[in-house]
Amino acid sequence: MGNLTGLLFAGGLGFMLLAIAGGLDFGAPPMLIGSAIQAQAPAETGATNIVTSVVLGYRAIDTLGELSILFAAAASAGLVLGRRHTSAGTQTEGGFILRTGGGILFPLMMTIGFYIIFHGHLTPGGGFQGGVILAAAFFLPLLARPGAKLHHSTLSLIEGFAGASFILVGLLALAEGKAFLQPLLIQDTLGQLFSAGTLPLLYLAVGLKVGAELASLLSRLAQTEASQ
Amino acid sequence: MNGALALTIALPLLGAFLLPVLMRVSVAFGVWIGPAILAYGCWILGDLWLTGSMQPFSVALGGFAPPLGINLYADTLALLFALAAQLLGLIFWPFKLDQDSARRQALMLLLVAASTGLALSGDLFNLYVFYELTAVATFGLVAASGTSAAYAATIRYLILSGIGSVLTLFGIALIYGQTGTLNLAHLAQLAPEQLSNELGLAAFLSLLIGIGVKAELFPVNTWVPEVYATASSRLSAFLAGLVSKLALLIILRLLLLVFHQPEAAQVILILGILGVVSGELAAWRAKEMRRMLAFSSIGQLGVLFIAMALPDGQGMLAVLALALHHLVIKSGLFMLADGWGGALQRLRGSAAASPLAAGLFVLFSLSLVGMPPLPGFWAKFTLITELAGQTEPLYLMGLTVFLLATVVEAAYLFRVAAIIYQSAPQERRPDEIPKAGGLSLATAGLFGAGLIATTLLIAPVGDRLQTIAAQAQDVDLYINTVFPATPGASQ
Repeated sequence: MGNLTGLLFAGGLGFMLLAIAGGLDFGAPPMLIGSAIQAQAPAETGATNIVTSVVLGYRAIDTLGELSILFAAAASAGLVLGRRHTSAGTQTEGGFILRTGGGILFPLMMTIGFYIIFHGHLTPGGGFQGGVILAAAFFLPLLARPGAKLHHSTLSLIEGFAGASFILVGLLALAEGKAFLQPLLIQDTLGQLFSAGTLPLLYLAVGLKVGAELASLLSRLAQTEASQ
Repeated sequence: MNGALALTIALPLLGAFLLPVLMRVSVAFGVWIGPAILAYGCWILGDLWLTGSMQPFSVALGGFAPPLGINLYADTLALLFALAAQLLGLIFWPFKLDQDSARRQALMLLLVAASTGLALSGDLFNLYVFYELTAVATFGLVAASGTSAAYAATIRYLILSGIGSVLTLFGIALIYGQTGTLNLAHLAQLAPEQLSNELGLAAFLSLLIGIGVKAELFPVNTWVPEVYATASSRLSAFLAGLVSKLALLIILRLLLLVFHQPEAAQVILILGILGVVSGELAAWRAKEMRRMLAFSSIGQLGVLFIAMALPDGQGMLAVLALALHHLVIKSGLFMLADGWGGALQRLRGSAAASPLAAGLFVLFSLSLVGMPPLPGFWAKFTLITELAGQTEPLYLMGLTVFLLATVVEAAYLFRVAAIIYQSAPQERRPDEIPKAGGLSLATAGLFGAGLIATTLLIAPVGDRLQTIAAQAQDVDLYINTVFPATPGASQ
């Protein structure tokens, strides 16, 4: 019965996709909102990276929602994984190359991660991408030395305050009589490192939150695996 | 003042982010943060409700005017459900203190923030983000009960919900690919030209099935009985009472604003009828209280879908009345079920053990079935008159199924009532008889009191619902509120 339902559903979906594929106008995307944003974004938000002006300006509440989803996922994983007793250290250490390489790569990855976060309003990149690199930088030593532990309390501190500062920047605008999450302090320095007002601050908060969240999630998974 | 509306979403999120840190510093202080935030949210929304001119308004988030930016749209309907989200979050707050309470409370705050966002948002993709947040927070909260049955239920819910999310996203992509905008008011302007075709219908179907996962739409509702039976009763009450209605509200808004095809209504009608049939019959066969309530909830949501399918939003008043009625009743019943877990036969003699709980159960059952002075009767009566006025055979079939379902509903609810009022078997000691008591009974009593108050004030409540329904039905009002200076729009 379940198989039949699944087959019917998949068949129906496939038929629907085929039917609408014929009616789609490929190669001519409707740029109704897109072109308007392209024309106004640099002036309104001060960011040369138009994607950033959409992510942190026009649709900032969506980004806040995405951050919350990540937070909810990490908290749920913590609820499920936190129940098992973990006694890390049963895994064998990584080889010489991994251990030494991990030590050397750590500062480099930190630098790249922060570079990508701080230039998010100028070049492709930003808080989400940079945050993942930061998390990888913290996870690499953990791969080399499975016994080493990350400070979960420090990570959750960073996580909490980074997320809170994103909202607080938004509330600051509200307190000044503007709309929630409205970009503030937009200078007339388009294209420079210090430009785009509060957007780089928001991206820093995103980067730290994503980095801390992923790092603590990965280390939690690694510890749970080690105990089995 | 209107800008404070954003606070009802922002503050719970802020609280959720900070709660794990603050709980480590001081538990005594941390436990009050969540309830305080939700109480403040209730105050903001209640204030807007009471002092506002009852005219809908739109708040542009980030200061970018829609359709470029995202807006919150607050008419009386949206405010009502946002208020319900915050209030029910407060009522069903997970007070229990243990090592996981910080995470559980943070997830609950996220769930309330997302529910409020679902009620208020005026942007299709923003709705999707809040919808996802609701889903992910729910996974954690269901799994938090820690039993293996709960894990299994969560996995099933995770998979179905994932399929639903992909379909929703696909539908949104189709709409954006066709029109180039995501703002609901903007879509409402463009829809008659650009979305009244097969493509629009396909997009609607994807959205319907995708969002239907949460709205307990047949056939994507198989997660419902397991999740409601394994999650804590308070969470089940919140999910069955509120979150399902919010998903329904989104589909309703889409139907009113964007998709006017008769086929769309037909699909909803057929799926609604199937939902009623499958839900009520399964509830009739259920051997356990919470499973029975879960299946009955599927049936009730099916009735709501039937009401929604009425052409030109005629069913708006019925949808609203039935949704609010079901919200109160199901929340109350789930709170009663808190003490009455396990097989139904175990409940013999519990009326003598806790007479108040038994009385409340009978009250809720009578209203759910539709006994005349109670609000449930008026809600069902509205739907019956609307359905009977239709000429198409499918609607009349919906009416028949609806009436038959009421009979089945009465059969299984009163069977339980009879078991409760039977005398306890001789061989059992009195302390083996399950008792509903303490906080859950008090909460159920609250909903019972609300039900009785509504019965006494049925005329003013009915009038108010009529105004709300009329306002929500007005597409021009929606467009003019979001785009105040639109030329050529009729006022």
